[in-house]
Amino acid sequence: MDTANVKKASVKMYTTPTCVYCKMTKEFFTKNKVEYSEVNVAEDDAAREEMIQKSGQLGVPVIDVNGEIFIGFDKKGLSEALGIAG
Amino acid sequence: MYELLIIGGGPGGVAAGIYAARKRIPAAIVAESFGGQSIVSADVQNWVGTKSVSGFELAKMLEEHLRAQEGIVIVDEDTVSAVVDKGDHFVATTAKGQTIEARRLLIASGSRRRKLGVPGEKELDGRGVAYCSTCDAPIFKGKTVAVVGGGNAGLEAVLDLLPYAEKIYLLEYGESPKGDAVTLAKIKADPKVEIITMAATNAILGGKTVTGLRYEDRRTKEKKELSLGGVFVEIGAIPNADFVKGLVELNSLGEIIVDHKTQRASHPRIWAVGDVSDVLYKQNNISAGDAVKAILNIAEEMAKGSL
Repeated sequence: MDTANVKKASVKMYTTPTCVYCKMTKEFFTKNKVEYSEVNVAEDDAAREEMIQKSGQLGVPVIDVNGEIFIGFDKKGLSEALGIAG
Repeated sequence: MYELLIIGGGPGGVAAGIYAARKRIPAAIVAESFGGQSIVSADVQNWVGTKSVSGFELAKMLEEHLRAQEGIVIVDEDTVSAVVDKGDHFVATTAKGQTIEARRLLIASGSRRRKLGVPGEKELDGRGVAYCSTCDAPIFKGKTVAVVGGGNAGLEAVLDLLPYAEKIYLLEYGESPKGDAVTLAKIKADPKVEIITMAATNAILGGKTVTGLRYEDRRTKEKKELSLGGVFVEIGAIPNADFVKGLVELNSLGEIIVDHKTQRASHPRIWAVGDVSDVLYKQNNISAGDAVKAILNIAEEMAKGSL
């Protein structure tokens, strides 16, 4: 696994506290030592609007990896974007 | 060659795996994920022996219990896409292209969400059309939304939305919502909720995101439109039995018909449990119990020396 790539990426997650796919994504990041920031769109109105503007999505999780948008727990897409070996 | 291939990682599949291991039946289990459909539930309060657990935690408990068993082969993150009967054994092919040979099958593949199949649903999926109220209800803060389906899942979606949405329409196809009376009473008492019965949803409207929904009033045949920011679809499930069509008898709902004493299907070497079977009540505890029943029957058959 190319951990250098993993650390360089800027990863921002838009989540809700009750969303299981958000939890799965976070566990996946933790397991693969991906650093990420997280915003709770259930509480943060501005972040919710930002998420909808960025992704057109009214669903979580939305994950922004260096400007590339991922929707749902897209393990394959995230692995590719972050250089995580499957 | 395995004596048994278990298909599915919900409570049925996991219970089967545990009992198969304890009975020392050489078995493999194929599971895309663990925990079944309850994984998205915020709070499960009826898993016997556990007062309250989130669906996510329950899934972890099930997976850990299965992985603690010796002698069972776990093929995870994969699904069975086709099964061929070779006369004395089956050859199962997985979505990732593996082939697995086994003398018997225990199908615990559950069911998947039924979709409306109306114009706009697919196009606006994730753009206001939502299927996980637990996950996405907060995103509809201040919006007017509709929940399609008045079964328990529909009523729970309304409950999930109550703290956030400004107004909630509950659309029921029949004469009255069929979900639990207690939940229904709670919903009816809230002025935010408007229940529309005899409503057949015809289309979901929108451009970038959902703007509305068109339905037919089944009493008057009148076409009506609602102006909305979101639509939650909760109209039941379709059994995941496609890969055994032709091998076993299915009922009109597509469920595998089983002998409820043994869980055996119409094929002598196929058993089915849980939501994929024609069990009357779709419940985690029942799926687990039925799987135990199936494994004990399989073990008995094996001891007798029959196939």
